[in-house]
Amino acid sequence: MKSTALLLFVFLLWHPAAQAQEPFYKGKNLTIVVGTKAGDVYDLYPRLLAEYWSKYIPGNPNIIIQNVAGAASLIAANQVYNLGKPDGLTLGAIYPALYFDQLTKRPEVKFDWTKFNWIGSTVRSNHLLYMRADTPYKSMEDVRKASTAPKCGATGTASTGYYMPKLFEETLGTKFDIVAGYQAGQDIDLAVERGEVQCRAFTITAYFAREPFISWRKRNFVRVLIQTGKKRDEKLSDVPTIYELMDRYKTPEPPRRLTTVVLAAGDFGRPIVAPPGVPADRVKILRDGFAKAIRDPNLLKEADKRQLEIDPTSSEELESLAKEVIAATPEVVERMKKLIGQETK
Amino acid sequence: MIEAFVSGFWQVLAWPAFGYLLIGITVGFFVGLLPGIGGLATLALMLPFSYTIKEPVPAFCFLLGMLAVTGTTGDLTSILFGIPGEGSSAALILDGYPMSKKGEAGRALGAAIMSSLIGSVVGALALALSIPIMRPLVLLFGSPELFIIVIMGITFIGTLSGRSMMKGLLAGGAGLMLAAIGVDPQTGSLRYTFGNLYLWDRLDLVPVVVGLFAIPEIVDLAVRGTSIAGSKPEKLTGVWDGVVDNFRHFWLVMRCSLIGVYFGVLPVLGANVAQWISYAHAVRGLKDKNAAGKGAVEGVLGPGAATTSTRGGDLIPTVAFGIPGSGSMALLLGALLIVGLQPGPEMLKTRLDVTFAMVWILIIANIIVCGVCFLILNQLAALTFIRGHLLIPFLLFFVFIGSFTANNSYGDLIVTLIFGVMGYLMVLFQWPRPPLILGVTLGKIAENYLWISTAAYGAKWLLFPSVVILIMITIVTVAYPTITIKERTGRARYERPGDAI
Repeated sequence: MKSTALLLFVFLLWHPAAQAQEPFYKGKNLTIVVGTKAGDVYDLYPRLLAEYWSKYIPGNPNIIIQNVAGAASLIAANQVYNLGKPDGLTLGAIYPALYFDQLTKRPEVKFDWTKFNWIGSTVRSNHLLYMRADTPYKSMEDVRKASTAPKCGATGTASTGYYMPKLFEETLGTKFDIVAGYQAGQDIDLAVERGEVQCRAFTITAYFAREPFISWRKRNFVRVLIQTGKKRDEKLSDVPTIYELMDRYKTPEPPRRLTTVVLAAGDFGRPIVAPPGVPADRVKILRDGFAKAIRDPNLLKEADKRQLEIDPTSSEELESLAKEVIAATPEVVERMKKLIGQETK
Repeated sequence: MIEAFVSGFWQVLAWPAFGYLLIGITVGFFVGLLPGIGGLATLALMLPFSYTIKEPVPAFCFLLGMLAVTGTTGDLTSILFGIPGEGSSAALILDGYPMSKKGEAGRALGAAIMSSLIGSVVGALALALSIPIMRPLVLLFGSPELFIIVIMGITFIGTLSGRSMMKGLLAGGAGLMLAAIGVDPQTGSLRYTFGNLYLWDRLDLVPVVVGLFAIPEIVDLAVRGTSIAGSKPEKLTGVWDGVVDNFRHFWLVMRCSLIGVYFGVLPVLGANVAQWISYAHAVRGLKDKNAAGKGAVEGVLGPGAATTSTRGGDLIPTVAFGIPGSGSMALLLGALLIVGLQPGPEMLKTRLDVTFAMVWILIIANIIVCGVCFLILNQLAALTFIRGHLLIPFLLFFVFIGSFTANNSYGDLIVTLIFGVMGYLMVLFQWPRPPLILGVTLGKIAENYLWISTAAYGAKWLLFPSVVILIMITIVTVAYPTITIKERTGRARYERPGDAI
């Protein structure tokens, strides 16, 4: 009995010391909770990352993807933020626009966007709006002057298909009729092909990576009217940015502030987050590892093959961006509510 | 074209493609058989494995081969246990399970397997034949037309109501109301979510179907305290009879296969809807209306053929536009991109052989799985002679695991339980369950397309020639049985035999 106790005592003395020599992540599972169903584009990025990230984390943990889909990744964000034990072994891959819900004070939001430990984002996603080429709307100017508004397809009110055209309305004085309720983005493209709706706002990346857009561009079926990046995308050098148009139409300051807050979602891109309370040294390990992994030539080659564009955002940038968007004034928040379909009372 | 057709065939049979096909079939075989665990969830799990396969045809042999057979083996579980093997196999329970209880399991299984084979071949041929006309075919149906088609689907609640039309309509109405749960896409308002995030995305069909159909059967098995098939362990007979049934009712099988293809092509709809429509179609044609729900082989043939033929139909918009026709096709599309293929018009020009390879995969996979099914039928049927008490823990385990794969959420388990209790009460008080399922499935789709049609065209869409024609067809299908059958002895029944509970 005595000897057992002694053994235990020695072991306890020895054990933490032994751990300190070994990297924390050695032999452990690092879980990434993905806020969408498997196979979604939001899911493909963390899966790609998981294959290369481990190499750059001392101890080479086993990286596991867990899909917790639902409520536009709000469930995953809540779950990761409120972990019982924030030990740095569970991360989240969540939607970039979730801070809209925090700003508009949705009661279901159980996180503080500024307190997440931001690890990094795989790709920035700026947006564009395409319009069928056989419509009279050749430019945003035409949409402004048109007597009947073009119809843009959208899935739900929380989607870019819905709030981007609304944002253009707010800032540029263009009018769009938004037809919401399509099952998925591809159903909108089909509806455009059929002529049911004429336009759709979504990511530039997808526009250049996928069908039907590849064939559409070949037969000049649609025309891109506007893009949301600060600079023109090199593949869309003849398309004006929202900022250029705001200058042209002398957009006043309040809608401009709204634009900054809304479009920040594009810079958040496809973020990976850790909950608050994770020890700082582990956060640093994860961040450094991410920054290296995302530049790994093999990852880039594989991403290219899978047609996943890589354009990372650093953890520092994400962190300051998060503070910036949450500091939005009540006035901006009121405008935002209108944008995402929540009428102000 | 012929060259690509032949080349596709040989590419599927070449090594290692054929090996991958066999692996895919093996996985799909068990996934289909296990209650609740569905093709879609498994496809998502298997997708990362396919990343390592660098060639398109072998990758597709694996994924599509797996998907192609889940429908077939799912039917077997429905027939033998009265528990849906797949969400899209639930309709086979209605007549298949009573057949098992009557001791006609062999015939039911034979009929289901053969009709699945015929369905898959029809689906694959439809895919092959429609290659030149794919685009206009898919573009034919806009939101207004889809809305009317969904309404037509809702009218089938009448046929699925069984003895009491009033109960059926009420159950269907309850289903439509349950479909309203969630975030409304038009205004973003939350309906009946009670502050619960799980309910934002509306009820997932898998836990609802599994709860509604599987739990009552398991309870029933526990109460009876015997094995599923009673106490007479005999050899399975009548399998060949079931196979021949397919040719006795050949045109029914063909019509239901085409229903499947058609619902596969239409976006959003699919096997989940096609099974009920084809079941309703099959029992409507019965001479003796009272036979439905009591083990009429037609009620097995119809949905058996339709669920597998949707796979071919599903692939049509996926290949023609690069626009997936269903959830599983969206995943397959991802796999196509990873192996470096861009589905769409370009692929039809440059890699037509891959498209034809898909056709061949659908056909070959189903032929193989049918052969395997016939070989092991006796072993499978033997499961129904195992004492219920030994079987129930496993069934419950798989049922809940299967539900859980829908969203990986505890909400899935709770929904399964709630609908399980509801299903039990419905059976007890003789309320028909299929109208409820049809309501839940179609409610959301109907709502969305109504909104889209109105937002896009105002009220003008009501006068589109295509819409007017579809409305007329709907009215005729509703009125037809009432006009022709003067002496109606009763409507289609779905209920289990009286000795059940």
